[in-house]
Amino acid sequence: MAEIDAAGRTTREINAAIRLAITAGSGEIIVRNPGARHNLAVALLEPVKLKIAGSVGYYCGGLGDGASIEVEGSAGWGLAESMMSGLVRVHSHAGSGAAAALRGGVVVVHGDAAARLGVSMKGGDVIVAGDCGYMAGFMAQKGTLIVCGNAGEAFADSMYATVCYVGGKIASLGTDAVLSEMEEGESQRLDQTLETYLGADRPAAADFRKVVAGRKLWNFDKREWRIWQEAL
Amino acid sequence: MCGIAGYFDKSGSGDAPLGCTLLRMITALGCRGPDSTGVAMYQSKRPGCWIARVKLGDSGDLAARAEQISHAAASAGGRDFSRIGAYLRFSVDEQEDPKSFLLSIESIAHDVEVVSLGNSLEIVKQVGSPANLEHTFSISGFRGSHGIAHTRLSTESVVDLSHSQPFWAHGRPDLAIVHNGHITNYHQLRRRYAQQGVRFYTENDSEIVGIYLARRLNEGGGLEHALTRMLTDLDGSYSCLAATESEFGFVRDPFALKPLCFTETGDFVAIATEEIAIRAALDGDYAVRETQAKEVRVWRR
Repeated sequence: MAEIDAAGRTTREINAAIRLAITAGSGEIIVRNPGARHNLAVALLEPVKLKIAGSVGYYCGGLGDGASIEVEGSAGWGLAESMMSGLVRVHSHAGSGAAAALRGGVVVVHGDAAARLGVSMKGGDVIVAGDCGYMAGFMAQKGTLIVCGNAGEAFADSMYATVCYVGGKIASLGTDAVLSEMEEGESQRLDQTLETYLGADRPAAADFRKVVAGRKLWNFDKREWRIWQEAL
Repeated sequence: MCGIAGYFDKSGSGDAPLGCTLLRMITALGCRGPDSTGVAMYQSKRPGCWIARVKLGDSGDLAARAEQISHAAASAGGRDFSRIGAYLRFSVDEQEDPKSFLLSIESIAHDVEVVSLGNSLEIVKQVGSPANLEHTFSISGFRGSHGIAHTRLSTESVVDLSHSQPFWAHGRPDLAIVHNGHITNYHQLRRRYAQQGVRFYTENDSEIVGIYLARRLNEGGGLEHALTRMLTDLDGSYSCLAATESEFGFVRDPFALKPLCFTETGDFVAIATEEIAIRAALDGDYAVRETQAKEVRVWRR
């Protein structure tokens, strides 16, 4: 395993050291003393395992395609933004805009997520073990958004085809967000996902509620102008 | 942009290495606001005695100005005068009406401003970097119970000492704020307050936060009540820290537009725009969480 000490180094130097380790053939890399620095491990395109022993700042794991990144502390804004594939796991909390515009792969947050979780996500799975802030799932297009704790206000506002599951309370549903019954076998599939990423102490999938788009905003109809007035 | 930071020592000793901690925090946030830097620091309350920090002026013969102010302050009981940078610092017996004391000092010239006043509060701020602030005022040696700090990126008003933060809520001893964001109903509120006789010292929209909170605190109910009311009365984006001699807290606007994260341990509370500031200042194993929209928290000593 390659070890990189981030103390006293610039972001550019740390990222260059990560790239160098990958080029040298290291399949596993650990970064120590990250100090909540921004832009760490952005755009890694190799299936490398990277552990960050501490907290990270903004955009960690963004634009990644295939790397598996584990953050032992918390993360700042824009965690795994626009990730194509791979896994980003944060053991503590995540800041605003986590998994925004996610294209694929899996983002796991063991603590809470702040505002705007998974906004405009276009694929992939987002799993938050704790609570999430307001406007989670806003304009989300595809993929799955799972919040085991409570969801903030305007949850799943103006969505397309993302499917959301919430284990706790929902402060309020956003425009055109509706509760929906789980289909045959859906609860088992949710449980499998929870088991894969959260392990044995996962919450019971049967207690989750499913939220999808009511499809009222998918096509413009002037007879429904009142909905559009409220939508934006 | 702008960077804000706050630290609150829970030990109750009033003797934490406050200046050192705040300096490390704002140094880490320096790139968010290279224009000016300031800190508001609180030490144990000195009953019956205010510490005043007065800006001597924008230009001209500041030594002569210091003489003039010392003379005026001495007739109101001022003592222990010292001059550092553009400031005169002195002690004065607590008076019934802070506003008439302010008038007696500030009527000397239009560019004289009492930057801070209180039993426990001292503010130092100036144009330039955190390193500059340390160079002028040696803030790292300051010990106390809690404090707030700011690095400024000016977006809508001039860069000078008076427009820097933290802002003391002129007229209410010991109340100080730092703010990151924009108050969008600033002009409306300012017109209303000005009609009621409130003096504005700057064109900086953040100044209104201190004025607003002072008015809420004067109604009673404490800082938590005041910060919660702010959510309905002030529009725009704001991550804001506020402190008095006994309370310390934050408020985040309903859209959570500006970042703000915090940690609380058995020993301290630390709040900052970015976690990088907390990690740069404080060792140990603690979790940092971003605050949520509309979140208000207050700690008391």
